[in-house]
Amino acid sequence: MSPDKHEILQLHVALSPPLARLTPNRERKTMAMAAARRALLTHLRVPVARTAAAAVAAGTVPVAARRLLSSTTEETKGSFLDKGEVADRVVSVVKNFQKVEPAKVTPTAHFQKDLGLDSLDTVEVVMAFEEEFGFEIPDNEAEKIDSIKTAVDFIASHPQAK
Amino acid sequence: MAAVAAPTRAEVLSLFRSLLRTAKQFSDYNIREYTRRRAADAFRDNRALADPPAAAAAFAEGKKQLEVARRQAVVYSLYAPKAKSVMELKVQ
Repeated sequence: MSPDKHEILQLHVALSPPLARLTPNRERKTMAMAAARRALLTHLRVPVARTAAAAVAAGTVPVAARRLLSSTTEETKGSFLDKGEVADRVVSVVKNFQKVEPAKVTPTAHFQKDLGLDSLDTVEVVMAFEEEFGFEIPDNEAEKIDSIKTAVDFIASHPQAK
Repeated sequence: MAAVAAPTRAEVLSLFRSLLRTAKQFSDYNIREYTRRRAADAFRDNRALADPPAAAAAFAEGKKQLEVARRQAVVYSLYAPKAKSVMELKVQ
């Protein structure tokens, strides 16, 4: 099995005085200390990676804990929404927007050309998408959204959209 | 003094977006909606400002208001209403 913390501490303590005695030259001393530290660090690093992987592989981690581990990684990665569902929700958000005639809204409608919205309205519509899908659209992406199609494409390709 | 250049379209839209974002942080429904409406109205009123100094002045005023809104959102959050507005209730 890999060395535990105590062993490494002892190693550190044992190494330090002899190194100091051997090297009166300051540069050589720092070099030697760096080498010792490197050795210690490689020593420290290897066992950690091995034990975590080995524990999971050997099945020593309880099932519940393993499920918890996998679910947190999924959470951070997020998941992509189905494009059809995104399209439906985007269309209904646009239909609910005050200045839009619901009958004009189609999955291919352009905000300014087809729905008669101006750039200020477009900003408000994009904010409404943010609220509906629960994530923030950065300025440079928000500028590119000018139609229902571009909105659906962007939201469907965004992992944090809910 | 050199003439002040008019803000670009992207800058204006970005300021508008920032104001709307800040408006959403207010805990009180009325203030939240007022801030959003006030920002939208002001941007619409000034949309056709032709001469650069006037546009720059309006832009500077907007930035000042954004700072005010940001500060007030923090202050108001300390005195958040205990009950929701009737407007926030979901219609059954």
